Amino acid sequence: MTMQLQSKIYEADSIGAVQELYHSNGWTDGLPVVPPTEDAVRACLDWVMMPPDQLIGIEPVRGLAITAEKLAINAVMAGCLPMHFPVVVTAWTAMMQEPFLLHGATASTGGCAILVVLNGPIRHEIGASGTFNALGNSDRATSVIGRAIRLCLINLLEARPGAIDRSTLGHPGKFSFCIAEDEEDTTWKSLSEQRGLPKEASAVTVMAAGAPRQIMNEWTTRPEEILETFAADIRANLRHYSIHPGNYALIIPKQLREHLQAAQWSKTDIANFIHERARIKRGEWAEVGKGAVVRDKADKVYPALESTDHLLVIAAGGPAGGFGAVIPPWLGNKSRAVTLPIGACVDCEPPKK
Amino acid sequence: MTERFVSAAETMGRVLGMPGYGFSTIEHPVSSADDAGLAARARAAIEQGCRLLVQQGT
Amino acid sequence: MTFRVLDPTAGEAAASGQRAPRLGTLQGKTVGFISNGKVGTKGFFAHLEKMLREEYGVAQVVSRTKSNYSAPADAHIVAEIRQWDAVVSGIGD
Repeated sequence: MTMQLQSKIYEADSIGAVQELYHSNGWTDGLPVVPPTEDAVRACLDWVMMPPDQLIGIEPVRGLAITAEKLAINAVMAGCLPMHFPVVVTAWTAMMQEPFLLHGATASTGGCAILVVLNGPIRHEIGASGTFNALGNSDRATSVIGRAIRLCLINLLEARPGAIDRSTLGHPGKFSFCIAEDEEDTTWKSLSEQRGLPKEASAVTVMAAGAPRQIMNEWTTRPEEILETFAADIRANLRHYSIHPGNYALIIPKQLREHLQAAQWSKTDIANFIHERARIKRGEWAEVGKGAVVRDKADKVYPALESTDHLLVIAAGGPAGGFGAVIPPWLGNKSRAVTLPIGACVDCEPPKK
Repeated sequence: MTERFVSAAETMGRVLGMPGYGFSTIEHPVSSADDAGLAARARAAIEQGCRLLVQQGT
Repeated sequence: MTFRVLDPTAGEAAASGQRAPRLGTLQGKTVGFISNGKVGTKGFFAHLEKMLREEYGVAQVVSRTKSNYSAPADAHIVAEIRQWDAVVSGIGD
């Protein structure tokens, strides 16, 4: 395999000098970076068996070719090891699918981050944990994979704050927003299986997502009551943030999950319930200071989900605590979550000799 | 462009291979401006825009 | 110890087109508006149209709104541009 890298090479005489070189050029997320040496980048490319110029996709607004080499450089900077790189490649392939609307999702004032969900055997291979601190710094793998996504956006799409990235606020997920599903400790189908992939496939789901909103209901075991708390939080998002329907993600840790499973509720049952309960009337906007845009449509009903398929239910989180999380979409009717198996590539060619 | 998106316009011009692409700048925001405010913004857009669209000296 | 490290950026794109020739005048011309459809744009473009017609002699104004304000203009709108003498569009909200 040809391993001639195309990127310009800089020389720096210390780790500190490397940091200042990258920070001063706007090539970081503000945190220190791992120096992307030729050997480290080649190791990532070797692992996925791709030549440097392997085309991962074209970002359509700029007509920009995204190559394996450029993803690998940013992945190394984020702290990825070669074994993490297949996830980064798959996530980016998914982000460049048309329904995801990559440019809009990363340039908008709405300030979303890219939620990345891992399923399948890859989680064990890379040590991704779906239990304690699932939405925080749970483990090395999810931390660096999520960070690699952001560095690629900064350096390849120029999604820097105040430049292409017009986020008014953003949220902390823009540093890293990657979670592994806790598939072993649930009776439910995994997210990727629910979305149509084979159970044994390793897969990545990406979603343009707002910040997580934590809910709590440790005072009941009834599924309808537990899920009503989630639905109420989605209704609040429709009222306070955006009325547009889209993908919502629910993170359901073990304590609440066990009650739902004991009552034989599947992810499909959860989606049916949320689809019915998570909706508001436009007139409710007048109760939260948005009366100016109610106009004559006060009785119009806005569901959070156009279809039950749009709810992403994810089993993750530590074993104790009656907590859950709602992750709302950036702009639900513009960007759709995409799920891809790892190892699938679109229009790929065999590695050149 | 509304004034708070000037840097986005400059960056997109550069990213699309046309650095320095000219544009009009109007007051931000548009969404909460009243009718008089929208008229003023249209006036500003035309006065700057015509210099960009039409050969100067004609 | 010298570190040889790689550039993580994609570099500049080649120009995706070139500037159209400037008009000699707006008198008698057709101007197209491509709006993102956000709140306020209707009133803004209404004032713009009135000024262009009454003060600059523009003969026709064609108004189009993108189907998605966070994406480039729809292909059918872009295709119409060749029938116009000038386009007005923008970024903002």
